[in-house]
Amino acid sequence: MTEIADIPPPRTETPAPPDREAARLGFRLTLPAQLLVLFIAVFPICMQIYISLTDWSPLDGIPWWRAHELWIGLTNYSDLASDFRFWGALWRTLFVMLVCVPVQFFLGLGLAILFVDEFPGRRIFYSVLLVPMMVVPAVAGYMFFMLFQSGGPVNDILSAFAGRTVSIAWLSDPDLALAAVIIADIWQWTPLMFLILLAGLVSVPKDQQLAAVLLGAGWWRRFRTIILPRMKTIIIIALAIRVIENFKIFDTLYIMTGGGPGIATETISVYIYKVTQQELIWGYVAAIALAILISLSIVSAFAIARLRRGS
Amino acid sequence: MTEIVLDTLGKDFGSFTALRDMDLTIRDGEFMALLGPSGCGKSTTMNMIAGMLEPTRGQIRFDGKRIDGVPMAKRGVGFVFQNYAIFTHMSVRENLAYGPKAQGMSRAEVTRRVSDIAELLQLTPMLDRRAAGLSVNILQRIAIGRSAAVEPAIFLLDEPLSNVDAAFRAVMRSELKGLQRRFSQTMVYVTHDQLEAMTMADRIAVMDHGRLLQVGTPLEVYNNPSDTFVARFIGSPGMNLIPARVDGDTAHMDGIGALTLTAAPGTAQVLAGFRPEVVHPDDDGPLAMGVEIVEHIGARTIVHLRAGETEVKAVLDAEHTAPREGQAFRFRVDAADIRLFDPATGAAMKRHG
Repeated sequence: MTEIADIPPPRTETPAPPDREAARLGFRLTLPAQLLVLFIAVFPICMQIYISLTDWSPLDGIPWWRAHELWIGLTNYSDLASDFRFWGALWRTLFVMLVCVPVQFFLGLGLAILFVDEFPGRRIFYSVLLVPMMVVPAVAGYMFFMLFQSGGPVNDILSAFAGRTVSIAWLSDPDLALAAVIIADIWQWTPLMFLILLAGLVSVPKDQQLAAVLLGAGWWRRFRTIILPRMKTIIIIALAIRVIENFKIFDTLYIMTGGGPGIATETISVYIYKVTQQELIWGYVAAIALAILISLSIVSAFAIARLRRGS
Repeated sequence: MTEIVLDTLGKDFGSFTALRDMDLTIRDGEFMALLGPSGCGKSTTMNMIAGMLEPTRGQIRFDGKRIDGVPMAKRGVGFVFQNYAIFTHMSVRENLAYGPKAQGMSRAEVTRRVSDIAELLQLTPMLDRRAAGLSVNILQRIAIGRSAAVEPAIFLLDEPLSNVDAAFRAVMRSELKGLQRRFSQTMVYVTHDQLEAMTMADRIAVMDHGRLLQVGTPLEVYNNPSDTFVARFIGSPGMNLIPARVDGDTAHMDGIGALTLTAAPGTAQVLAGFRPEVVHPDDDGPLAMGVEIVEHIGARTIVHLRAGETEVKAVLDAEHTAPREGQAFRFRVDAADIRLFDPATGAAMKRHG
């Protein structure tokens, strides 16, 4: 009987340690560029921190760098803590995200699974599916604004099914307005989820799936043991993109409802827009922006950590 | 433990016939190589055995039972892919356990099978390593072990060595042959590399253009090729084939000389074939050609000879002094080493005596 040979692992050359002097010279040469990049990244944040500690407004008639004359310390932050409009907007933003992102994910994944195999008309359906993603969000907002009018097509269709005249005031009912906004967002952004997940699905090696079939694995087992683990990274990326993007929801929503009726669809971005453009209390805006920046950074850091552990 | 019978098997892709009328019996426990250039129908044949393709004509039988229409998961076919298709995101153990688990075996049974296979393939020390980053011969063992764990009736191997670098192939070949002996499993091995087929297979099925040309042991195929394609394809370099006119027991080759044959097939135009290895340098030999190129390959020397349009390759051992380029070269070929082929059909002519 032949003995199975033990093969030593292939040797790899250890790269020579880089020259210390060269490294130092390189650092010095790139220092101006590094400082510039650092300045661009850090300056706006520093400026924000500074202004958020004052009661400065452009109406005060003093330039921003003299805002310290209106120093109020952490008052803006304590105001923020008890600002029900802020907390309401934050909650609404999270609510929209918690509905939209999972729905977009499962719809996108389902579509991706359908589209990974060839079927008649696949290319046409594929192109049609990607159209919403390419529509300018403001235009999408206008489209859904028209669709959801009390005399609009949505009510007409419902009337046809109900057999009587339905006149739901979609955009002026506090609860339904948010639902309409959510539907618009799902319409527009499911295609992106679909596109990313399809790319992930296609990249799962075909022969591994075939090997699993030959070993007797059914579809669900293959999906669970081969496809999902291989798509993990891309799923996290897709979710992260949509969570971050969805948090910034503004244009579609602003055109459809303007944050109304009242403040019923006011999300963080809409709230910041109103405080900035209508109330002009910029010190307070800076405080809001910083609070959001910090919380988003924590979320992103968490996502990146997950990604690192995954790969 | 299965005998596989291919009965007038055929496959068309639209108007293109990829395989025609293939009759082949692969015996129980045999290592059969399907050998041929790309596009010869060997992979089509294997995919039909595996169930990835349905035959257009004919039948495939495992131990007498027809298997057309049986889904590939139910055929009991172990498939070793060209790149092994190892589940690299799993440990070696999870890879080996995949099949038994997928087939719903009890936990104890899964554990037993995995440990048996791992022991047999010497994979036990690395069971808990991730499959990614293991060396290619380990991957080959995992691929075979993963299929073996569900005790397939037959193993199909799809050019598994083609992605391995040349230096490593010899190791992989001997290891694969050793594994096959251990399992004493029916194995069908698809390859375009005649060296792999010659060194590993019990029998070789040589194919070209969707046709099975010859089935036989490596030596049979080497010594008695059934036609000119097999004669040229097997061996490195392949057999010399020279137009000759047979008269009595002599074959006259224009501009080269005359060969004496063991028997007299009468009078005919033929292709006279002889292996480069049976060319013996002989100053008094009946044959003479000009030396065009001399290639020194270690112990062997390949001499390219030419007379007019006719080219002949000769392989000389180190004991012979190699002729120099431009010289005339006299040689002889023993009558027993000559094969005759019909120039019209390419088929080997019956040997008389």
